[in-house]
Amino acid sequence: MSEGKPGNEALGGLKVVEFSAAMAGPWIGRFLAYYGAETIRVESRQRPDVVRLYVPPREPERGTQPQLSPWFTDWNAGKLFVTLDLTQPRAVEIAKRLVARCDVVIENYSSGVMDKLGLGYADLQPINPELVMLSTSGFGDRGPCSRYVTWGPNIEALAGLSKLSGFPWQEGAITQYAYPDALSALHGLFAVMCALDHRARTGRGQHISLAQFETTVSSLGSVLMETLVHGREPERLGNRSHRAAPHGCYRCAGEDRWCTLSVAGEEAWGRFRRVLGDPDWAGRPEFATEAARQKNADALDAHIEAWTRTRDEYAVMRSLQEAGIPAGVAQNAEDLLHRDPQLEARNFFEEIEHVKKGPVTATGIPLGLTETPGRSGSAGAAMGQDNDHVFGNLLGMTAEEIRECTEAGAIEAPDREAPHGE
Amino acid sequence: MALGGRRVLEVADEKGAYCGKLLADMGADVIKVERPGGDSTRWRPPFVDDTPDPEGSLPFLYANTSKRGITLDLEQSEGAGLFRALARTADLVIETLPPGELDRRDLGFAALRRENPGLVLTSITPFGQTGPHAALAASDLTLGALGGAMYVTGEAEDPPVRLAGSQAFLAASVTAAASSMIALFHSTATGEGQQVDISVEEVVASVSHICGVGKWLDDGIIPRRRGSGLVASAPSGTYPCQDGTVYLMVNRPLHWRALAEWIHEETGNEEVLDPMFEGPSSNRLPHRELLDLFIGELTARYATDAFYHEAQRRHLAVTPVNTATAVTADPHLAARDYFVEVDHPTAGPLKQPGAPYRHSETPWRIARPAPRTGQHTEEVLCGELGVAPATLAAYRERGVV
Repeated sequence: MSEGKPGNEALGGLKVVEFSAAMAGPWIGRFLAYYGAETIRVESRQRPDVVRLYVPPREPERGTQPQLSPWFTDWNAGKLFVTLDLTQPRAVEIAKRLVARCDVVIENYSSGVMDKLGLGYADLQPINPELVMLSTSGFGDRGPCSRYVTWGPNIEALAGLSKLSGFPWQEGAITQYAYPDALSALHGLFAVMCALDHRARTGRGQHISLAQFETTVSSLGSVLMETLVHGREPERLGNRSHRAAPHGCYRCAGEDRWCTLSVAGEEAWGRFRRVLGDPDWAGRPEFATEAARQKNADALDAHIEAWTRTRDEYAVMRSLQEAGIPAGVAQNAEDLLHRDPQLEARNFFEEIEHVKKGPVTATGIPLGLTETPGRSGSAGAAMGQDNDHVFGNLLGMTAEEIRECTEAGAIEAPDREAPHGE
Repeated sequence: MALGGRRVLEVADEKGAYCGKLLADMGADVIKVERPGGDSTRWRPPFVDDTPDPEGSLPFLYANTSKRGITLDLEQSEGAGLFRALARTADLVIETLPPGELDRRDLGFAALRRENPGLVLTSITPFGQTGPHAALAASDLTLGALGGAMYVTGEAEDPPVRLAGSQAFLAASVTAAASSMIALFHSTATGEGQQVDISVEEVVASVSHICGVGKWLDDGIIPRRRGSGLVASAPSGTYPCQDGTVYLMVNRPLHWRALAEWIHEETGNEEVLDPMFEGPSSNRLPHRELLDLFIGELTARYATDAFYHEAQRRHLAVTPVNTATAVTADPHLAARDYFVEVDHPTAGPLKQPGAPYRHSETPWRIARPAPRTGQHTEEVLCGELGVAPATLAAYRERGVV
C-alpha cells in the first residue's frame, strides 16, 4: 500500500503544524503526513521530546541518540522539523506565521502551556479564523485536575481499563504499549477530520480539546454501562466471555507459545469437538450446553489445554480454522513479521528511509484507503533539520533574517551531524 | 453539527457499531440497517434490569446512540434494491460483512459507486478484503492475539490476556471512523469516493506497535509480558498505597529528581539520591527492583487519594488504579459534566459516558437514544425514499423489512 501516485494524495494541500511530544500528539500528525499533508513539527531544546532522549539498548555507550528511537520513526516519519525557542517573543512571532498559513494545529503539551507561550487558541484564532486546533492532554483544559501530568499507562489505570482487564486472580492488567496514547490519537484524528468537514461547509474553524481520560472512558462504555445503570462493578473476565465457552488462550508446545480460540453456540461446539477427535470428556453432561460449559469453565479449559499443550500453536490455529472455529495464535513481534502470511500478503509492514540508519522496517498504517494509498516520508529527522526550508522557502524569511534569529536564539541552531554511516 | 448533512448507512456488528456512533454523535444522519427482527448484537448482555430484551442490551444502547434504525433483508432482491436506493443518498456506507458478501448481493463498491461516484464505502473485517486469511473466522479475542497486543499484556507467568471492552473491535471502529473522514475529505475535494479497507488485525498490530517490529528490530529483544511496568521507563508500574494502588511513571530526568527528593524527605533514604540513578531512564533500568522498593516505602505511607494529589503537586505522573465505580464517581469528570443521561423508552434516563472530545463550535451530543428495532423503517422508506405505505405493508408481509 505504499505506492501513492503524486497528486493523488487524500490530504494533499493540507497544512499542519504540531507542537508536540511523545506519541499522543505526534501520531496524529504522522497519519496526516502519510496521506499527503505538509506537517511541520516545532521542537525546542527547552522542552525536549522524551523520545529524543533515546539510548540505543544495543550500544548504550553511544549515549543519548536523538534520532534513533524506533518510536520516533513510528510517530514522526514524513514530517518537517524546525526548532524554535518559544520562550522568546520573536520565536512566538515566527510560530504564529507558521500557524497563519496552516489549516490544522495539533498540540499535546501539558494543559495551559500553549496559553502561557502566547500560542493558545485565543491567540491563534484571530490570525487564522479558519484554523482547526486540537489540544490533547490527560485531563483536558478545565476541571480540578486539568494541570495534572500523565503518560499512557496512567490513563489506563485512571479510566478503569486496568482493573477491568486481567484474570480474576490478578489485580488487573496494564498494556506495555500505552494503549490510551494510540486510542487518543485515533480519536483525535477523527475529531480533526470532523472539524475540517465542518469547515469545508461553513468556512469556520474551531478548537478541539481532547482529554485522554475521557476518550478512554468512552472507549470502555460497553463495560461501564453496567456500573452507570446498575451500580455494579463489572466482573473481571480475563479471556472469558459471557457469550462463548470455551473462550480463552491456551498454552501450546513451545516456550511461551499460545493459541486463542472462541466457540459460541452448540453448533460450533459440535465442530470443535470433532477437531479434538470427540474425546470422552467433551460428551459429559457438565459440558453439554453453553450454560454448563460456562459454569464448568475451569475444567473445560484444563481439558482443552491438555490437547493444545503438545501441539504447535499454528497447527492448533489451522486445524480449528479448517472447521470454521475462530482461533488465533498470540503472536509476538517476530511472528508478526515472519510468520503471518496475511500481513505479508497485504504488505502491511513498511520500509521507511531513515536519515541515519538507511531503510528500516516499521509497523504499517492501518487506515486502508484503497485509491489514495499513503506514503511514509523519511524518518529520523535531526532537530531543526528543515529550518532553512521551512523558514526560508515556506515562510519567505531571508537568509539574513534566519541567521539573525538563529544568533539571537529564537530559532535554535539545527543539530548538525554526519548523516548515515558516520 | 460538525457532520450535519452527512448521511451514513451502517450495516455493522460489534466491529463497526462504535464507528457509526462516533459519526452519529457528531451530527451525521446514521441509518443503522438491521435484519428484520433486529441484529444479534441486541442480545448482548447485560440488560436493563437484567431482563433479556432486544431493546434493553446496555452495550447495544451505548454503541448505537444518535442513529436511526431500519430493518432490511439484504438477501431478498427488494431489500437489496432499497439498500441501493439509500446508498445513492449517502456519503458513506460502513459495513462489517465478510469480504465478498456485498458483491454477492450486487451491493459491492463497484455497483454502489456507479450510481454515486463520491460514495465512500468503509469495510471493517477481521483481516481485510484481500489475502489468504480474508475468510478466516475471528473474534475480538483471536484478533487481539494475532495482532500482537495480547502477547505483551499480563504477568510473565500467566497466559496472555485481553483488555476489557472488546478493544480490538473498538480500536478498529475508531480507525475506520477516522479513515472514512479522510476519504470523505478527498471525495469532497475531487468528487471521487473510494473503498476503505480496515483489517482489525492490522489495527491491533498498529495500536500495539510500541511493542512491535520497530522496537524488536532495533534492540533484538522480543517484547513480552512483564506486569505493569513499561520496559523502557524506569521506574514505572503499580505501587500499593494503604487503601489501594497507584500507577507511577517517571521518564524524564527532572521527574526522577523530584521523586528521589520526595522519597528522601519522607523516608530518610540517602541511597536514593545517588547520582548514578539520575539522567535518562536507561540509567535507572539496571536498578529497577531496588528503586521499586524505595518507592514502595513511600507509597505505603499514604492513602491512594492523598498520594495521587501530593504526587501531582510535585508534577509526578501518578494516578489511582480505579475501579469502574470510582471512575463513575470521579470528581474531575463530574466537574466537567462528562457523563450524560439518555432516555430509554421503558427504563427512563440511563447514565452513559459522554464526549470523547470537545469541539468549541460543534459540540458532541447524543441526538437520540439507540433506535428500537425498525423504529425508523417507515420514516426512512416512505418519508424519504417515497415508498408507498401499501408497498411497505407488502414488504412487511414478505419479510423484506
